[in-house]
Amino acid sequence: MISWRDPRPFDFVLLAAAVALTAYGLVLIYSGTLNTSGSSLAEVVRGPVGRQMAFALVGVALCLVISRFDYRFLAQGSAGLYIGLIGALLFVLTIGAQEYGSRRWIEIGDTRVQPSEIGKVIVILALAKYLSDNSERVKDLRVFFTSFAIALVPALLVFAEPDLGSASIFILIWLGMVIMAGADMRHVLGAIGMFVALAPFALIIVVTDYQRERVSVFLDPARDALGTGFNILQAEISVGSGGLWGKGLTHGTQTQLDYLRTQTTDYVFSVLGEELGFVGAMALFALFIVLLFRGLRAAAISQDIFGRMLAVGIVIFILFQAFINIGVNIRLFPVTGIPLPFISQGGSSLITVFIAVGLLESVIVRHRQVTL
Amino acid sequence: MGYTTGRRPWSSDPPTPAGDEARAVRNKIFYFGLLVVVVFGVLSLQLARMQLVNGEKYRLRAETNRLRQVPVMPARGLIYDRDGVPLVENRPAFAAAVVAADVPDGQEVDISLALQDLIGRPASEIEAIIRERKDSNDPFTPQVVKENLSNEAAFRLREQLAALPGVRVVVKPVRVYHESVLMSHILGFVGPIDAEEYERLKDSGYQYDDRLGKAGVEYTYESLLRGVAGARAVETDASGRELRVLGETPAVPGMSVVLSIDVDLQRRVEELVKAGMGKSLNAAAVVIDVHTGEILAMVSIPNYDSNIFSGEVDQAALEKLSSDPAKPMLNHAISEMYPPGSTFKQITGTAALQEGVANAGTMINSPGYLDVEDEYVPGKFHRFKDWRSDLGTMNFYRGLAMSSDVYFYYLAGGYVRDGKRVFEGLGPSRLADWARRFGLGEATGVDLPGESEGLVPDPAWKEQSVGEPWLLGDTYNFGIGQGYVAATPLQMVLVSAAIANGGDVLIPTVVKELRTAEGQSVPLKRQTVKRNLNLDPRNLAIMREAMRQAVADGSAFTAQVRNVTVAGKTGTAEFGERRPDGTYKEHGWFTGFAPFNNPEVAVAVFMEQGNGAGTAAPVAARILDYYFNQLKVAKGGTLP
Repeated sequence: MISWRDPRPFDFVLLAAAVALTAYGLVLIYSGTLNTSGSSLAEVVRGPVGRQMAFALVGVALCLVISRFDYRFLAQGSAGLYIGLIGALLFVLTIGAQEYGSRRWIEIGDTRVQPSEIGKVIVILALAKYLSDNSERVKDLRVFFTSFAIALVPALLVFAEPDLGSASIFILIWLGMVIMAGADMRHVLGAIGMFVALAPFALIIVVTDYQRERVSVFLDPARDALGTGFNILQAEISVGSGGLWGKGLTHGTQTQLDYLRTQTTDYVFSVLGEELGFVGAMALFALFIVLLFRGLRAAAISQDIFGRMLAVGIVIFILFQAFINIGVNIRLFPVTGIPLPFISQGGSSLITVFIAVGLLESVIVRHRQVTL
Repeated sequence: MGYTTGRRPWSSDPPTPAGDEARAVRNKIFYFGLLVVVVFGVLSLQLARMQLVNGEKYRLRAETNRLRQVPVMPARGLIYDRDGVPLVENRPAFAAAVVAADVPDGQEVDISLALQDLIGRPASEIEAIIRERKDSNDPFTPQVVKENLSNEAAFRLREQLAALPGVRVVVKPVRVYHESVLMSHILGFVGPIDAEEYERLKDSGYQYDDRLGKAGVEYTYESLLRGVAGARAVETDASGRELRVLGETPAVPGMSVVLSIDVDLQRRVEELVKAGMGKSLNAAAVVIDVHTGEILAMVSIPNYDSNIFSGEVDQAALEKLSSDPAKPMLNHAISEMYPPGSTFKQITGTAALQEGVANAGTMINSPGYLDVEDEYVPGKFHRFKDWRSDLGTMNFYRGLAMSSDVYFYYLAGGYVRDGKRVFEGLGPSRLADWARRFGLGEATGVDLPGESEGLVPDPAWKEQSVGEPWLLGDTYNFGIGQGYVAATPLQMVLVSAAIANGGDVLIPTVVKELRTAEGQSVPLKRQTVKRNLNLDPRNLAIMREAMRQAVADGSAFTAQVRNVTVAGKTGTAEFGERRPDGTYKEHGWFTGFAPFNNPEVAVAVFMEQGNGAGTAAPVAARILDYYFNQLKVAKGGTLP
């Protein structure tokens, strides 16, 4: 008998890590917007912090609802969600809202929704469904390529926005999930080899001037000291000057004197680096590691392939979003505009990661039901 | 494991077999865990390198971080007359500026006091600026606190700089106008940006201490004259000295504006108007090309000096200007509306011809007045006078040439004698309609700010604004340009221009073309004609001939010019309160065009408390005489 009544232990550690990360983000957004939004309680609540807090509450609520919900039902709907996603991305490309030279948003009233964020979870669902349905034939080249196509289509659409960062996230998610599904390692290595070989050509032929400019500015920020280069240099100085303990919350000269730009989104980590230092960064990393390991644990205890694929996809998604975002802040990667999960200001991203956590919880809560 | 036998919607997968495969899964998950550790390991290593190994270096850079974006202000475009005579220059001048971030905390008062002695601006104002900029999100951009410093003041200030941290001597060009009085109403001036303008424009690159066009062409063409600000990223040391320039987006200098105004003509028009205006408080004159709408001269007396707004404003002079009852800051050619008087008969006449109310042979007798029975009190008569009692019976030409009021009472309102309608007039609605078609009651669209729309009355308007019904007498007054109707001199010159050019109501302009900073001409894209009146050419010919006769042998005879046939219309418009002797104060008008056969220019002369034939028409004649017999000849043309 399957018991529906007695849900398995909810993973409170996982949720606590997610909530702690979000709270950490709120503190950083508070500090980052201090001189534009004011510091009185009313101003804070009305400002970006209050807004982000509202998104967090929606996120946690969604997370709790989804965790009560059998994730396997979502498998059935994944095809529909996927088609909806492609439609939304096409919509964004044609009539989406534009900012900083790219089209990534749909405007609904005065809120802007970035469909590529929730799109990452939808692609994870679609891939999990496809790979679990075809788990027997996962070593077939046809299955390998079909699964690649599932990730490639949205990747190309966001690439055209242009959003190179999100496009790479889609490909990395696919890579992680096919490896987990047990694809032929020769195929996997072949695909990786192909990416590496094609990268220089892509940079010349497919990549737009805008993206190429970002790469060359990354290599030599002084080249565009007024624009993107200014941000790269200032972010580097911010993080570096934080030292071991940081300058203290709200006391970062870089952050408070507006040297840092987009300091609550792309460069929120620089605020942390400057004001809370290496120790603050280690605390952040620890929270991420706890969260991601709880995600991997969900994959490990899941007794069905779909659940396992889902969990691994989510772990890869959060891991690489964090890696790329932080990497941009500390000059490991060129500027991409990937949000730092749980931390960066922005509703689309925050709600998406909480939905992802809800899915992980759903996998965890139901792992025993299948084994009876 | 019975659940595997039936397909269930939530069970998309077969059970995971134990053994080897489970171990493979565990292995893979282990490797993913390893990946997580490696990723954060890599991030931690780079972070340790930056924060722990090189932390001291970065800390120093952050402390001396004076990487700033300094705006590079564009050179403002110049203004030339139609022959390329420059009318303004950007003269370099010293200014005292403050970089708020470099003023040490606690020393704001001391430094403000020291500056007060050196530059003569109240310390409280300087201190307020410093504190405001310190609290802003851009305390680094030098903020000018005193412009247009004399060389000596700049020199003294420069000697004291070491003791005044945060204070700079900068070079800030000052707008200096040539012909600053003659051209004041057209050129306008630039002035400091105010708080409201700054809020609106800061995203377009305007600075907190910027200046922008406030009047005249400087205002209308602000966006072109200004150019586009550039920016320079500089690294500076703690004292604000620029160490190196990291990058620069050059400023794009503003476009220059070539006026349609001919300065020589403008100067002569001003002289003639001033000489001819007598005791008039104000006077205005406009000369316009009847084909292009280009304004060749536009004078409003009195005028002011544009240069008093350059640099620091001379407060005493400004006070004097704003308290002067003659309103020198106002361009009376476009900003004030006056009853047009008999010059309005150009419109009444054209309308009557077009609507079939009259033709060239319409004969009307003026016994010197017209008695009209009261609309409400039978037996009571109102007398509407003509300006002369000996005009007799006139055809259309004579009616206009002699400016018979009775003739135009008939055309405008018709006439009922002994309860019998003996003449059908236009009526107020058709007349108002024609006045509007000629461009009255709406802005002409000239490229100068502050235009008055004038007023075209009609029964509905009177009902609403005055609260009284429209009477026949209102129509009579309307027909001769009296009563409620009001227009600007520019609107009236366009009426004559439209008759001269075949019915095109022009959109006037004071700018002929633009010029790039490199001196290349750029045509000004603009609409020349607002609307065409679709006038019957025969009616146009009648109107023109009547206006010719007015000058040749009629009430406007004082507008005659040697060698040139002028067509025109005078106007003497009553205004204000009725005097005890039954007379009123009067404005003098003349509007017309020349040459009669091949019209080139139209001219309007307006004199507040003047007289049409007595003061306005002679000035118009002298203007046209100068234009055709001297200016055109001097410019290589031939005598007409």
